[in-house]
Amino acid sequence: MTAPTSIKVRSLSKWFGSWRALQGVSVDIEGGACTVLCGPSGSGKSTFLRCLNGLEEWQTGEIEIGGIAVGDQPRALTRLRRDVGMVFQSFNLFPHLSVLDNVTLAPRRLLHRRRKDAEEQAMRLLQRVGVARQADKLPAGLSGGQKQRVAIARALAMEPKVLLFDEPTSALDPESVKEVLDVMIELAKGGTTMVVVTHEMGFARRVASRVLFMDKGRIVETAEPEAFFTCPCSERAKSFLADIGPP
Amino acid sequence: MHAPSSSRLTPSGVLATARAYPFSTFLTVGLLYVALWLTWRIVDWAVIEATWQAGDRAGCNPEGACWAFILNRLPQFTFGFYPEAERWRAWIVLLAPPALLLLAMAPDFKGRRWIIAGGFIAYPVAALALLSGGSLGLSHVPSDQWGGLLLTMIVGIGAFVLSFPLAILLALARLSKLPALRWLTIGFIDFWRGMPLVAVLFMSVIMLPLFLPPGFEISRPGLALTGLTLYSSAYLAEVIRGGLQSVGRGQTEAALALSFGFWRTQTYIVMPQALRAVLPGIVNSVIALFKDTTYVMIVGLFDLLNIVTAALSDARWLGLATEGYVFVGVIYWLFCFVLSHVSSRLEAQQSRVVRQDQILTGSTQ
Ligand SMILES: Nc1ncnc2c1ncn2[C@@H]1O[C@H](COP(=O)(O)OP(=O)(O)O)[C@@H](O)[C@H]1O
Ligand SMILES: [Mg+2]
Repeated sequence: MTAPTSIKVRSLSKWFGSWRALQGVSVDIEGGACTVLCGPSGSGKSTFLRCLNGLEEWQTGEIEIGGIAVGDQPRALTRLRRDVGMVFQSFNLFPHLSVLDNVTLAPRRLLHRRRKDAEEQAMRLLQRVGVARQADKLPAGLSGGQKQRVAIARALAMEPKVLLFDEPTSALDPESVKEVLDVMIELAKGGTTMVVVTHEMGFARRVASRVLFMDKGRIVETAEPEAFFTCPCSERAKSFLADIGPP
Repeated sequence: MHAPSSSRLTPSGVLATARAYPFSTFLTVGLLYVALWLTWRIVDWAVIEATWQAGDRAGCNPEGACWAFILNRLPQFTFGFYPEAERWRAWIVLLAPPALLLLAMAPDFKGRRWIIAGGFIAYPVAALALLSGGSLGLSHVPSDQWGGLLLTMIVGIGAFVLSFPLAILLALARLSKLPALRWLTIGFIDFWRGMPLVAVLFMSVIMLPLFLPPGFEISRPGLALTGLTLYSSAYLAEVIRGGLQSVGRGQTEAALALSFGFWRTQTYIVMPQALRAVLPGIVNSVIALFKDTTYVMIVGLFDLLNIVTAALSDARWLGLATEGYVFVGVIYWLFCFVLSHVSSRLEAQQSRVVRQDQILTGSTQ
């Protein structure tokens, strides 16, 4: 295995029109570990995450993933995204394709895998996230938890070095939340760099190596999960933790 | 439903209903009478009193339809003035599309999609090459001898097959982030949509040759086909744009995040969903396009409608306009019927997949 991929962000600022969503964010994200990003709604977590794989353009600052700058040159960006998987809050499965085809589409069309190889790999991944039995269904026929696990398998099929999760469990009922978190906990043991936006503090406690707390477009606190939960430094983090309740 | 409980189809039941609802009973009986009367008149004229074999108008029963006229002229209505010895070529051109359509209705087999798609894409070129000849040992048949249903089919299917990819590109450009490209496309689409088809056809026949490099010539059907293609691509582009806009942003983002580039995102993820979403609109455009082919008569082409119109002035068969136009109408109606049938089959397939899916979900949860 190659060295884990770390992420370096320097003075990242992003404006939506005149609204400044990110206010000079600088942070180093450790390779091969799970970093949890939390903060109140509208604090810029999604925007930050989407900058990491270039889904969002930004105005000033730099991002490097595994030593390679994230730019706006389309080809380089496409190349970089091969190594950076993303899981969305709203799943975004391809509704016109079966679960199996959702997972095999990218390897077949982008890595030019043969169908048989891609399907074998996909079935292994679906097995791993526990939805192998649904392989031939369309996404519309799955429960929310199953959909999100398929979305994780789809991202894993490209064998990414970095995985970004944007509130992967926020749209799910409690039972499904657990299914998905179990898969993510399993993943976190595997040595992929993970950046997870979530309010699941139990998850953060168990697997995160660090917690980043974001407020008003800034990362205002960076801490080990234990330290963050027991004695958050900033007032803002204190009231945030009080709002979402104990882990 | 709201009738008294005695409203069975017994004499007393019917009478009771009639007494309870005098107005609707009156209306029902009246409409029924009109419908029956019309049906009777049509059947009487078109079948009972009709003449199927005659040498000229005088040989036909004046009380009924003179189908002998249509039957006599059928080869000409079908092929125009295409030489008889070469008609097998025209037969192939005429029968290929229905064969492909039947194939499309057939149960799944490996490669079916490719045969159908390839067949339709290759159709205009192959049909033009086969009909015009001049190579592969086929004798040359100048395009002014093509006509009738044959010409209608080539122009109609040709314009559709050519305008479809053009419309996809226009729809994508119309939604492009590049302002110059977007405004150019809007201008292009509005230009073709803003002109009457008649003007488009005149322009393409008179002006298009001026833009062609010297020594390069397109036949009259080719010029008309070009005009019709540009015209209908503008309409189709707007239908497809609606489909593109109905596909959520999340789909594009998921594809980009998987490292699909723009074209692959469109090809594998956005277009399949967009085209499915606007299938009824596309079929609508195709039907409109098919009927619009009749306008090629104004640039001197003898499509089905024009060749029948021309035949009406034959001295031996004067005064048979009704028969001629009924014939043309039935042919066009058949085409549109087949098209809408195919499209509703496709839609039903679509919704069946979804429904089955929901039932499965219900059973697994
Ligand atoms: N496309 C957009 N256009 C304008 N403003 C946006 C857009 N996306 C996000 N914002 C704004 O940027 C801020 C940060 O949003 P977001 O990153 O989604 O927050 P979070 O994910 O932390 O809830 C919010 O105030 C939001 O209103
Ligand atoms: Mg968010």
